[in-house]
Amino acid sequence: MRSRPLANTAAILVALVTVFPIYWMLLSAFKPAGEITSTAVRPWTWHPSLDSFTRVLSQENFGRYFVNSLIVAVSVVVLSGVVAFLAAVALTRFRFRGRTTVLVMFLIAQMVPVEALTIPLFFLIRDLGGTVPGVGLNTLGALVITHLAFSLPFAIWMMRGFVAAVPEAVEEAALVDGASRFTVLWRITFPLAAPGLAATSVFSFITAWNDFIFARTFIISAKDNQTLPAALQMFVKPDENDWGGIMAASTLLTIPVLIFFVLVQRRLVSGLGGAVKD
Amino acid sequence: MKIVRWAALVAAGALLAACAPPSAAPQKDAGVDEKTGALRVWLFQEPNQPPKEKVVKEAVDEFTAAHKGVTVEITYIPTNNTRHEKFKGAFSDPASAPDVAEYGNTDVADYVAAGGFADLTKDVTGGDISKDLLGSATIDGKLYGLPWYVGLRALYYRTDVFTELNIAPPTSYAELAAAATRIRAAKPELYGIAVGGEYTFGALPFVWDAGGDVAAKKDGKYTGAISSPESRAGVKAYTDLFATCPAQACAGLTGGKTAELFATGKAGMAILGNFNKGAVEAGAAKGKYAVVPLPGAKPGSVAPAFAGGNNLGVLKGTKKRSLAVEFTKLLGGQKYQTKMYEAMGNLPTSSAALADVAGKDAFLKPFLATASAGTRFVPLDPAWVKVDSQKVIPTMLQKIVTGQASVDKATEEANTAINGAFGR
Amino acid sequence: MTTAVRVGSRRGRFLPLLYLLPTAVVLVPLFGYPLYQLGLISVFDYRQPQVSGGQPAEFVGADNYTTLLSDPQFWNVLSTTVWFAAACVLATLAVGAALAVLLTRVGRIPRLCLSLAAMAAWAAPAMTGSTVWLFLFDTDLGLVNQTLGIGGHNWLYDRYSAFALVGATVVWHSFPFVMVSLYAGIKAVPDSVLEASRIDGATVWQQFWKVVVPILRPIITIVVIQSVIWDFKIFTQIYVMTGGGIAGQNLVLNVYAYQKAFGSSEYGLGSAIGVVMTLILLVVTLFYVRAIRRQGEEL
Repeated sequence: MRSRPLANTAAILVALVTVFPIYWMLLSAFKPAGEITSTAVRPWTWHPSLDSFTRVLSQENFGRYFVNSLIVAVSVVVLSGVVAFLAAVALTRFRFRGRTTVLVMFLIAQMVPVEALTIPLFFLIRDLGGTVPGVGLNTLGALVITHLAFSLPFAIWMMRGFVAAVPEAVEEAALVDGASRFTVLWRITFPLAAPGLAATSVFSFITAWNDFIFARTFIISAKDNQTLPAALQMFVKPDENDWGGIMAASTLLTIPVLIFFVLVQRRLVSGLGGAVKD
Repeated sequence: MKIVRWAALVAAGALLAACAPPSAAPQKDAGVDEKTGALRVWLFQEPNQPPKEKVVKEAVDEFTAAHKGVTVEITYIPTNNTRHEKFKGAFSDPASAPDVAEYGNTDVADYVAAGGFADLTKDVTGGDISKDLLGSATIDGKLYGLPWYVGLRALYYRTDVFTELNIAPPTSYAELAAAATRIRAAKPELYGIAVGGEYTFGALPFVWDAGGDVAAKKDGKYTGAISSPESRAGVKAYTDLFATCPAQACAGLTGGKTAELFATGKAGMAILGNFNKGAVEAGAAKGKYAVVPLPGAKPGSVAPAFAGGNNLGVLKGTKKRSLAVEFTKLLGGQKYQTKMYEAMGNLPTSSAALADVAGKDAFLKPFLATASAGTRFVPLDPAWVKVDSQKVIPTMLQKIVTGQASVDKATEEANTAINGAFGR
Repeated sequence: MTTAVRVGSRRGRFLPLLYLLPTAVVLVPLFGYPLYQLGLISVFDYRQPQVSGGQPAEFVGADNYTTLLSDPQFWNVLSTTVWFAAACVLATLAVGAALAVLLTRVGRIPRLCLSLAAMAAWAAPAMTGSTVWLFLFDTDLGLVNQTLGIGGHNWLYDRYSAFALVGATVVWHSFPFVMVSLYAGIKAVPDSVLEASRIDGATVWQQFWKVVVPILRPIITIVVIQSVIWDFKIFTQIYVMTGGGIAGQNLVLNVYAYQKAFGSSEYGLGSAIGVVMTLILLVVTLFYVRAIRRQGEEL
């Protein structure tokens, strides 16, 4: 496509406006305490300070929480990718009775307010812990399976479009060449649907990474299994907000997601670039 | 799909049969009283945690030195809304529950109704904690926690502005209102007094001072009292102050935001707690402020302050009751209250500890005067949580200051909402 | 889509069920069961003492529903939620679609900049985004007011200006999803198709509406349905930025549910609100799905 100067300028401008709040978050995290709540607001600072970050990072077990969050988010991404891909194949490549019902059920699953489900889930997880080790209260497994359940309906809906976009001619050609159905699925369809996988994984990652509703409900006493967002909640207080702390904590929360985005984005673009087109 | 329909039928059938929703086994006395092992303790996280940890560690060392074979595991939990989930989780799953926990005293009624805390009436006796404060942890005559520390609010004012305009620190509501008006008139860039529509504990002292209350207890049952003539006078006194802090800017403010306003030098006065000192010192108002007790309507009187604070409680399902009680009494005792004050600035609840720290710090004087003038508390009933989360008081204040309703109408509506909350 | 039937139906009826099995294993216990409990709890007097086992749960029939439906505030909040969600969905779609098209017409560097900026907005937790926006528009300390020289102006005082500010934050958070999905979709349109229409003499505008949009319809369907669901359930932005607004002027359903029920452990009432919300969303979605079907599309 041809690039036009006007469009380029517009894109850069929109980018600047969009990124500005993020810049402001970073800036506030680096501002010294007095400057954040000053009536002379300046969009820069001459005295960058690491105080806010030190306060956040000096929290007991910070590294541990970080790793926990990462474990949960990555597990959810991998599991939901595979499971959603299979379900999407079933829903796009096959016609069967009840197909629409199943699809609508996945939508319903997303409509229910999460708060309304935490109590039943609490008891479910508690009882599950008694029979299946590793997924009871206070375990990371509990977080993985609930986030998996909550990210799947959307992931399946999302993947469906991408699987549908994979030309069946390619699959059929491979079948004709004598490849097994399983091989076609994993060697042909799966890579071709990878951009979709990238998009859905971004979604699952964010939901699992940013959540604290389940973390605070299921991780009660095991402080070693706490996740990052739940731990960083302490900076948000009803009566006296520690702006610097909140912004520093938010920065630390946002950066890993951004890194994940950048990693995935390249796959997304390259995948879209060639493979899908005839 | 047959299976789906079949499952739907089964589900519908089960619903009709109306099985009860899930429920935990009620917490009971564990029936054992272990004298060794790990004692689990929950304390609140603080923005500036290390000093608290240091004091707690001293207490733990002292405790473990005196008890062979006992370890103490401290877990710091967040203070904001997530704390409720933690506690409710602990009440429903004894395996996750601590033995001792710090909790906010406004939560006591809710937690006790949930069956979470043990009765400590027989254990905490002969202390030197004031009746007002013990009352804030007592439900139906039983004590459910040891008041550990409190935070009290008083009137912060700008010394430079008062000197410049030649105003004396107010000693009555009339003087307070006059000072606020004066400041606003002479310095339009300042709010006379920073008040907020969402600042319940800034408003209630005026209601209490006028002889009113949120709800009154009669025959063991609370009914709304916010529309009584006394309460209305108090509500009017508070909302009148918005003349010097226009609704456009102040109707949505919380207590924390008024502290921010005062700290940044945007207000001549503010009703802030001893715990706001740090925020004020970090702002432009540093070195230019002083504190006096919030005056009542009667000249020279002090408006009753809200006695918000934290208690130490023992969980009902604990297997180490004796140890838990002993640790509570040690950490909540005079010695460690004093140390906690030195580390964190938390006001002690023990009179002896209070007298001890008062001699050391002049900043505390107005807060101690407020304490000795008598403090008040919110209704000790689980329904208070409902009144609070439905924002009954803020909605009332906001309707008045934005002109959506008269004092009479807004208090009437609030009273209906309060009765509704207590009614269930 | 029609060829799909052929490939699939060649192998028995059990293959799709096999592919759906892992999903069922996860969702039936972790969603089906709590959903069933949700319905059950909504007909009980079920509060914290009942959860902790202090008191038995009492069957109250439709009481929670009558309490809810007879509350005039509920109907008020419901209508507010509907129009606010509709406005957010439309704005998000418009911004996202416009930027997706823009992305296809710019050079590599601007595209990278815009993509990264959008991803940053997407990556920011809702709570963070709301806090930062609130901070930028703060009455006295905010950059916006100081730059515009309107210090002391409170954006949250007026009901509609407050909704506009929250709406802007919502759009900021959610347009990247729309933009990226549509952009990916547009990129996936085979060049040969575009070329064919170009040879046929279609203008860029015609090409977009007649060729690209129909191909994108499945993606658009997803984006619309998802946006409707998310914006109808909006919570964090409203709660963090307005707390429900002055005298409750900015309440939406999910915040109302929190204030009325979950904030004070009224799980019975809360579940009833959850059921009602789900039903409303379901009706809206089914209407949309039917409309699509009438156009000859498949879900």
